Amino acid sequence: MATVVIMPRQGQSVESCIITTWQKKKGDRVEVGDILFSYETDKSAFDEPAQTAGTILEVLAAEGDVIPCLDPVCIIGEPGEDISALLPKSAEAAAPAAEEEKKEAPKAEAAATVSESTGERVFISPRARHLALESGVDMTKVVSTGPHGRIIERDINKALDAGFTATTEAVEAFLAGHPIVVEEEAPAVEAAPAPAAAPAAADDLRAYVDEPMSGIRKVIAKAMHSSLSEMAQLTLNSSFDATNLMAYRAKLKEAGETLGLGKITVNDMVLYAVSRVLPNYPEINANLIGDTFRKYKHANVGMAVDTDRGLLVPVLFGAEKMTLASLAAETKVLAGKAREGKLTPDEMNGGSFTVSNLGSMGVESFTPVINPPQTAILGVCCTVNRVKADGTVYPAMGLSLTFDHRAVDGAPAAKFLKELCTALENFDLLLAK
Amino acid sequence: MPKSQYVDPGKVFQPGYIDFESIPLCAYNLTLDEEKKLYSKDDFLRIYHDMRTIREFETMLNEIKVKSEYNGVKYTNPGPAHLSIGQEASAVGQAYCMDINDFQFGSHRSHGEILAKGLSSINKLTDEELYDIMKEFLDGTILKVVEGKQAHPGDVKDLAKDFLLYGALAEIFARTTGFNKGLGGSMHAFFIPFGIFPNNAIVGGAAPIALGAALYKRVNHKKGIVVANSGDGALGRGPVLESLNFASMDQITKLWGMGGKYSDEGMPILFNVFNNFYGMGGQTMGETMGFTNPARLAAGFNPTQMHAEKVNGYNPLAVIDATKRKKELLLNGQGPAFLEVATYRVSGHSPSDSSTYRTPEEIEAWKAADPIPAYRNKMIEGGVATAEEFAAIDEEIVNRTTKIIKLAIDDEISPRMDLSKHPDMISSIMYSNQHVKSMDETREPEVLIPKEEDPRVKQIAGKARYAFDEKGEMIPKMKLYNIRDGLFEAIIDKFYEDPTTIAYGEDNRDWGGAFAVYRGLTEALPYHRFFNAPISESAIVGSAVGYAVAGGRAIVELMYADFIGCAGDEIFNQLSKWQAMSAGILKMPVVLRVSVGSKYGAQHSQDWTALCSHIPGLKVCFPATPYDAKGLMNQALNGTDPVVFFESQRIYDKGEEFHKEGVPEGYYEVNIGEPDVKREGKDVTILSIGAVLYRALDAAKKLEADYGISAEVIDARSLVPFDYSKVIESVKKTGKIVIVGDAVDRCSVMRDMASNIAEMAFDYLDAPPAVFGSRNWITPAFELEKYYFPQPDGIIDVIHEKLMPIPGYTPTYNETELEHMDRARKGV
Repeated sequence: MATVVIMPRQGQSVESCIITTWQKKKGDRVEVGDILFSYETDKSAFDEPAQTAGTILEVLAAEGDVIPCLDPVCIIGEPGEDISALLPKSAEAAAPAAEEEKKEAPKAEAAATVSESTGERVFISPRARHLALESGVDMTKVVSTGPHGRIIERDINKALDAGFTATTEAVEAFLAGHPIVVEEEAPAVEAAPAPAAAPAAADDLRAYVDEPMSGIRKVIAKAMHSSLSEMAQLTLNSSFDATNLMAYRAKLKEAGETLGLGKITVNDMVLYAVSRVLPNYPEINANLIGDTFRKYKHANVGMAVDTDRGLLVPVLFGAEKMTLASLAAETKVLAGKAREGKLTPDEMNGGSFTVSNLGSMGVESFTPVINPPQTAILGVCCTVNRVKADGTVYPAMGLSLTFDHRAVDGAPAAKFLKELCTALENFDLLLAK
Repeated sequence: MPKSQYVDPGKVFQPGYIDFESIPLCAYNLTLDEEKKLYSKDDFLRIYHDMRTIREFETMLNEIKVKSEYNGVKYTNPGPAHLSIGQEASAVGQAYCMDINDFQFGSHRSHGEILAKGLSSINKLTDEELYDIMKEFLDGTILKVVEGKQAHPGDVKDLAKDFLLYGALAEIFARTTGFNKGLGGSMHAFFIPFGIFPNNAIVGGAAPIALGAALYKRVNHKKGIVVANSGDGALGRGPVLESLNFASMDQITKLWGMGGKYSDEGMPILFNVFNNFYGMGGQTMGETMGFTNPARLAAGFNPTQMHAEKVNGYNPLAVIDATKRKKELLLNGQGPAFLEVATYRVSGHSPSDSSTYRTPEEIEAWKAADPIPAYRNKMIEGGVATAEEFAAIDEEIVNRTTKIIKLAIDDEISPRMDLSKHPDMISSIMYSNQHVKSMDETREPEVLIPKEEDPRVKQIAGKARYAFDEKGEMIPKMKLYNIRDGLFEAIIDKFYEDPTTIAYGEDNRDWGGAFAVYRGLTEALPYHRFFNAPISESAIVGSAVGYAVAGGRAIVELMYADFIGCAGDEIFNQLSKWQAMSAGILKMPVVLRVSVGSKYGAQHSQDWTALCSHIPGLKVCFPATPYDAKGLMNQALNGTDPVVFFESQRIYDKGEEFHKEGVPEGYYEVNIGEPDVKREGKDVTILSIGAVLYRALDAAKKLEADYGISAEVIDARSLVPFDYSKVIESVKKTGKIVIVGDAVDRCSVMRDMASNIAEMAFDYLDAPPAVFGSRNWITPAFELEKYYFPQPDGIIDVIHEKLMPIPGYTPTYNETELEHMDRARKGV
């Protein structure tokens, strides 16, 4: 019996992945553990090892294809095996068929084309069904242990714990007893677009290279565009007197190491202050999902990290409970993982707010773009010297707060910013809280 | 079984005879000349007026029923109309003697009695009193309809007659302007301000209730008497016979009272039988009974023969004479009394009655003896009044009746309850939900000793109110405050707070209740507040209903829950329904204690919570811990609703294992309807009803220890009302629930709960709610009970078979669906 290899799901919010490289091709013999292909999610890269031994009988996706999670990617079996039943129908044939089945739901009797979805009624408890849809478990990996073979909650949890996830559509299709047919949003990027060099004479001043966007780039592009197109974003700029903050930082530099405090950056201090002020502003420490505010009980502060692969935002969960030292240690670990591409999706999802720091680049103010579905983001800018009315010069550090006006009004956003400035101006006092 | 009374074998076997006095039959023989010395012309005419009013009222109802028209007014009445045409003289004669402190109870054929008592009360009350009653009753709703429309403007008694007839008719026609907003109807109409108490559609149903009202008067030293009216057919009913016996108990005159006061007073009740010779169609004399005269029956109940007598009910003056004499006896403490009033129902049992059981000749003969024309003719011939005077009375009555029916059928003036606009109107009167500490704050409770000196109170003071010592060791049972103590504390506190509170049942006094809950009450309370009832469950519960209706608070006990069946009508039709049938006018502060047995076989071990929970209007509790027992009993006793309080003989001696601070000595309440999480868990919920709680906890412990499954155990504590919030919350967490209890599985409260939970939490369920009750068998002997009542292993079996198969688990019992299908097919 041939096995269909599907695109795994990495993390609960991941809907599709890009195949970056095929390590094996059609006809290759593979053993368990051999890497079949590499792929990227929006935030990380993974290798998919073979889970069965055999010969690759068919490759169903090309490098660069965006494959919805749970969609078939290749078929492994024994040479000569009939795999026609496992091959997905052509897009043209599948689309109307899927519509037909929707109308006739729930009695679809179409033969399963993939996996264990048999086209017959799936016996599953209401609770397990609910959880499956909510979590996007890979139903093909669920082993039922309930009475009379009914799938119950614990079966879904077991598959989830093992990391088997899929798209909601795939779960719905499975539960409806449909063979899993996932419509592609757009024709996949045409077969393997190798970097196309323009016809180039050595001195051609018009020479260029076309490179397909990397997976992460695509995801960032999509996220940033949808962020700006779907929200009502605006930015407030302010600054605070960083004298106290700098003095404290100088002290840390001097004596921190002897006290075993490790390196603590200005950005850590800003993150620390943010984590203390955020809980006072539930609308800002929140996600806006549809018409629902998901107000977080902790300050889960995302920190934007620039990496070779693109912008990554790991999350400091429960930052409000961390000491400055432990927060600084955690940011170091996360930043390291980000740069090495080792962040798991769960380390990047679930943020309630984000801090982005361009201060080290000398940026004096900017309009950071909100990381959906969050409702605000703080940009940290560089310090410039300003003169007070009495003529004294002080270092002023800029802060740029972008917020979603759908979720938060200007006054509370400004109030948040002001409270944050006050906290930072009195950083030594804040530590005493 | 008081020790003061010695059962002497020497006397018991002495030969001799029981002597009976002769029972007078229709002995009245006064001449009109003699009667003129007793009655004024006004009195004579008023007696006629009242009889004639009833006759016209019922004629009107009959015409509406059979012709849909009365005096040119068209109307259709789909409701019942049990008429008593022919019996008016009996009703008026009786009511003539009763004043406002005298209570009247009756049957489904009581229009005549209601109107007679009402008219008599109107005559006896002052104009001010009358107007105040009308103004205050239902915030003047009825008064507003009739005021300004009377034939004699400014005449309050004339207005009150309109008020009475209209309130009764609007009630019969189910209008919101009726005496009970149309919720009682023809067979249940009543009006307490005139001393007219609930009339009962259950034949004989009023007898124990009337007994309870008399008990209230006797115990609380209230003025007046109680008249329990019934027909001759009702004498075949157990509750009536039980009531005759209960009212005749020796203790009432021999043992009741305190400090020399209130002794030698019999039960102030007159059992009045309107003997019309037919119970619907069955002929009591000659066919369905053997007494020839109902009066014979009464003579056997006590040595006074209940002063039984038969009187001619076709002569109002004869009825007055007899009733007056009986009333005097009662007021002199010589009750109870019994009067047979021979009369005849010319009308059918109901309009559909075609009189297949009697001949036209018989009916004609009684029509010829019609008491109303006979009385009028006697008065005209005797020169009391002229034919014209009588004709004028007739005309006024016809006019009044015509006016009243026009008002009562006018949908604008007399609307029906609008349940579309006010869908909660009936919901809102099913319970009164009040908190009343004392039903009579003007009096001090009668007690024999200060509470602190009570031997039981002293004994409890030395007991541990939490089951475990500092080391977590269970304290020995003898030193442990238990469920019995919790119940006792709540009850004795109420006795010292509410002077009307009384408790009775089988073996309550001296013995202290069969299960010792009442031990210590005998020392504290005078006999009339705490006594042994005869083995008469109908009379016990029915009298509690009457006691509450009259204004008191009663705790009655049926010993075993299995005896609920013996008081079926009283629990299911009377205790439960009168608050709502009175449109919220009556309160029912009654706690009915029943105990679920074990070890005692098929007729002494049943959990009948389902029967009581099925009936709307009752509250049902079943606590399983001392804390809950006291808290629920406190709330039940402080409330104004009927509460059936289930207890379990398995766990009376359980200490408090859940509230570490122990059962509070002071007053607190546990809300009836609020379940309690006794053990927290996350994988599966066990909802337990009653004593099975401890087996559920054992199952939970085993699940945790052997299988790593964390079970949450919720104790239902009460069944009606029931707040599902905590249960649904738990099911949302665990996704799985098994409901366990000792009741048989079929049609149990567990089944009802399972169905509700499935509806309320379907999307959260990981399996259908499972139920684990007792088998649909008779209860076997104690040694076999584990095959019958749910056990911890069985609870785990059900979880394994129906909710979440447990790897490596081997079930003890067969609790599979296939087995259950097979059982259902066989009806076992």
